Amino acid sequence: MTLEAEVQSLRQVPMFRDVDPARLKLLAFTSERVQFAGGQRFFSQGDPSDAAYVILDGRASVLLNTPGGDIQVAELGGNALVGEMGILSDTPRSATIMAAEPTTALRIDKRVFLELLAQFPQMSLAIMRELAKRLERTNAQLVAQSSS
Amino acid sequence: MEKSLFRYIWNHSKRDQLIVLAVVLGSLPFYFMSLDLPRQIVNQAIQGDAYRDGNPTAPFLHLSYDLPAWLGGSHLEIFEGFQVGRLGLLFGLSTLFLFFVIINGGFKYWINVAKGILGERMLRRMRFDLFTMVLRFTPEALRTVKSSETATIIKDEVEPIGGFIGDAFITPIFLGMQAITALVFIMIQNVLLGLIALGVIAIQFTIIPRLRRELLKLGKQRQLASRELAGRIAEVLDGIEVVHVHNSYNWERAEIGQRLFDLFTVRLKIYNRKFFVKSLNNFLAQLTPFFFYSIGGYFALRGTLDIGQLVAVIAAYRELPPPLKELIDWDQQRLDVQVKYDQVTQHFADERLGPLMLESGEVAAQDEPLVGPLVGEDIRVAGPHGDMIIEDGSFAVDLPASVALVSNGGAAASLLARIVARRSQEFSGRVRIGERDLAQLPRSVVGRRMAYAGVDPTLFPGSIRDNLIYGLRSRPLSRTEEDKRDMDKRIAEALRTGNPVESIADRWVDYESVGAKDEGDLDRILIELLDRIGMGDTIYLFGLAGRIDPDRDNTLAERVVDARHRLRETFQANGMADLVEPFDPGRYNRQASVAENLLFGVPISDEFKGRNLAENGKFRSAIDRAGLTDDLVHMGVQIAETMTEIFEGLPPGHSLFEQFSFIGAEELKDFEAILRRRGRGEGNLKGDDRTRLLALPLAYIEARHRLGLLDERMMGRIVEARGLVREVLENSASEGVEFYDPEHYCAAAPLRDNLLFGRISYQVANARLRVAEAVAAVVRELNLEEDIERIGLDYQVGTAGRLLSPQERASVSLVRCLVKRPDIFVIDGALAPFDEARSQQLVELLLGLFDQQSLFMVLPNDRQAGAFDVQLRFRDGKIVTEKTVAPAPRSSRPEPDAPQRITGEVV
Repeated sequence: MTLEAEVQSLRQVPMFRDVDPARLKLLAFTSERVQFAGGQRFFSQGDPSDAAYVILDGRASVLLNTPGGDIQVAELGGNALVGEMGILSDTPRSATIMAAEPTTALRIDKRVFLELLAQFPQMSLAIMRELAKRLERTNAQLVAQSSS
Repeated sequence: MEKSLFRYIWNHSKRDQLIVLAVVLGSLPFYFMSLDLPRQIVNQAIQGDAYRDGNPTAPFLHLSYDLPAWLGGSHLEIFEGFQVGRLGLLFGLSTLFLFFVIINGGFKYWINVAKGILGERMLRRMRFDLFTMVLRFTPEALRTVKSSETATIIKDEVEPIGGFIGDAFITPIFLGMQAITALVFIMIQNVLLGLIALGVIAIQFTIIPRLRRELLKLGKQRQLASRELAGRIAEVLDGIEVVHVHNSYNWERAEIGQRLFDLFTVRLKIYNRKFFVKSLNNFLAQLTPFFFYSIGGYFALRGTLDIGQLVAVIAAYRELPPPLKELIDWDQQRLDVQVKYDQVTQHFADERLGPLMLESGEVAAQDEPLVGPLVGEDIRVAGPHGDMIIEDGSFAVDLPASVALVSNGGAAASLLARIVARRSQEFSGRVRIGERDLAQLPRSVVGRRMAYAGVDPTLFPGSIRDNLIYGLRSRPLSRTEEDKRDMDKRIAEALRTGNPVESIADRWVDYESVGAKDEGDLDRILIELLDRIGMGDTIYLFGLAGRIDPDRDNTLAERVVDARHRLRETFQANGMADLVEPFDPGRYNRQASVAENLLFGVPISDEFKGRNLAENGKFRSAIDRAGLTDDLVHMGVQIAETMTEIFEGLPPGHSLFEQFSFIGAEELKDFEAILRRRGRGEGNLKGDDRTRLLALPLAYIEARHRLGLLDERMMGRIVEARGLVREVLENSASEGVEFYDPEHYCAAAPLRDNLLFGRISYQVANARLRVAEAVAAVVRELNLEEDIERIGLDYQVGTAGRLLSPQERASVSLVRCLVKRPDIFVIDGALAPFDEARSQQLVELLLGLFDQQSLFMVLPNDRQAGAFDVQLRFRDGKIVTEKTVAPAPRSSRPEPDAPQRITGEVV
């Protein structure tokens, strides 16, 4: 798998869909491709947020730490972006991510990511658009819940 | 130092000056004879005076002496000479002239060498004397003395003084003699011409020095201005952080620019004046020959002076101006260096210096442990503004004890700590320990039995070990074997110049006093102390990054190679084989760069490092022969294309460039141009472009950069080329690269690379941490820990320890005190770099370590004071002594566990 393939994966991520191809290539180039064994954690709930991950291959579980032990709340597959909220809001990890099987991911370093955003407004805009969409979705869900 | 430079020179070099002077005087008769010969050659041989009476022959080398009348006036015939013809006399006298030329040359040579050596010796003495005075600067003086200025003085300013010393006495005498000889000779030939020459000389000697007085004043200004310039540059450099923070570049640049302008103005004035005086001097010197030619010629025409005499007079006069000129120059130099010397002695004025540090033999008698009652009476310390910080303070403590000096927010606690540690003499009152006055304790006893760690840990450049044992080097204990002849020479020179005879090659470290048997044992003690203070991990990491010399430490090198194999087995057994890709002579290592894969070794010399490799002729010829050059250049083109594409638009200097790009921001344009040239056809690429492109793939790591440039076939070809590269490099007998060998230690690589013998995978998450843990486990298993930490002690701390973190500096400073095992250890702010929890831990540790000795510690508040036996508090200038009611029994005080060993990253 080469840089080009990684760029293709990044393009599938909604947040990066509108970003200029050359910038995506830079993002991929400045990221690291890492492999996790099944059961290995990307990070644990409460850890400082230092990176976001794009899953290239494999699956990962989202676990929440509760008094009754870890419970799985979701599962992530290919081209999923995870951990981006933590690095944007500079808060500790809100959940644990664990590889469900041997998984390959692209690790986007927080510092590099923020520097790219600072450097290329067009990239920031794309991110903002995606965040706004999410907020809208959440609002809609809230409305739906309260009305039901 | 003596007030007058001449007295200083005379006091220290009488004997040598007199010897040289004697030789100078001895050379004068020969000089005189060489002056007389031209006259004889012209008159007797050429004009034939000796044959005037029809004699066919004349005596050559006729030596006789007429005794003066008061000794009987008899004629003493020593050698009646050879009877020779006219031609014989001419050649004989000419040969004699040549002979004297050689003799005089020989004398001159010997005298110059002797003077040079004399000057160098005095310079060495003077520099050493000045350095000794540097050690004696009082604390008050040190507040105003600038280190860089002092260094300039000792290094540069005394240099011309040293050059002058050899000339100080000999030159005026020698030149004076020469001038007088020449003058007397002229006088003998013709009194009038002699008087004329004398008159002009008299004018020269009155006017010129007067004109030069101004020069001296300017010289003084120049000296001070350049000294201050040196001081200012050092200040800016030391405070560069502040300059950056406040963006005061323009101010600093203007400041230095102004200084340079002032310096230039002074120098210009000196320059103008100097050359004016010089041309006047030359004119006066040329005035005399004018008189000789006109007046002497007139006499010769009139017949009162024969031609031979005139020629001799003019020949003699030719000899006169150089010594005269040199004499005047000497005088100028004398005044010049006297000014310099005055400036230097002013810098080291007596009132800025403390007492001499020489100590006599009775020191040993006083070298007893510093225990018993420590009593301070009537201690008064004044603050900088005349206010009293401590007034009539008294205290009494039975040592050994742990004493907390609890600060009241003012300077009192710290000042008392300095008084107890004998770091400060600026107080009135008395501090006694037992029967002994603290102020009267010999320095050697204080140095040996006391330690003081202040806020600012001062480290010297060198290894951590050097810094740790700095306090154990008070005197040499045994001589190391050195060549007898060299040693005699070194000691003789040292004695002649008032330098110490001790050699730093001797054994200075007193192992017994710290309870060590030998060097290795001392290392063990140092490591143990560092461990306890919490710096063990750091030292271990330093050790892993360090290098060993397998020739010197063969067993360790072999053990590391064993550990390498053991580590490999561990990886295999625990399913960690994919964490590290080992260096395999037959396989491409995807985690390593192309250059490393081609060399399969570690570059030693710079010409094989980084981009230089692409320009290295031997390497290039090897990859040419392997047929790889075109492929690598092609890879370079692909990398350049990708880089110019993805880094375009980033401003130059952006941190992403430095961190990720193969191409620096400033080179981006160049590579774009290369790519455009290439676009017009591959053949257009010149050698230079090819070299630049070739440099790019050399740094390419397939697993890290993932540009997909290397396929299996290419990797195979690179592996095949390894042998060829090695062969070419080995045949060229260049020691540029040390090649990897799975069975041998690679001296050029750091220890950790030797342990891993491979590269950690970029692709496996958390690989570094997991590898570090595995390495630590194997190191523990094979008992290599201490050896590695021992190598860590070799870590260089850099100027003022800047390569260490503040916490590490403070730790080294503490251990430097601890290893001395002082009777009294005073800590004043040395724990400041540590956070509260660590500092609390360290206090407990120190209290445990100083079970049998005394510990004084300045504490910012009461929080930790309870653990100490005694607390000294400060109220309204008074000292209040409080004993802790029930301090924990000292022996049962729990000692904090040493921090968990060996964690953190390996690479």
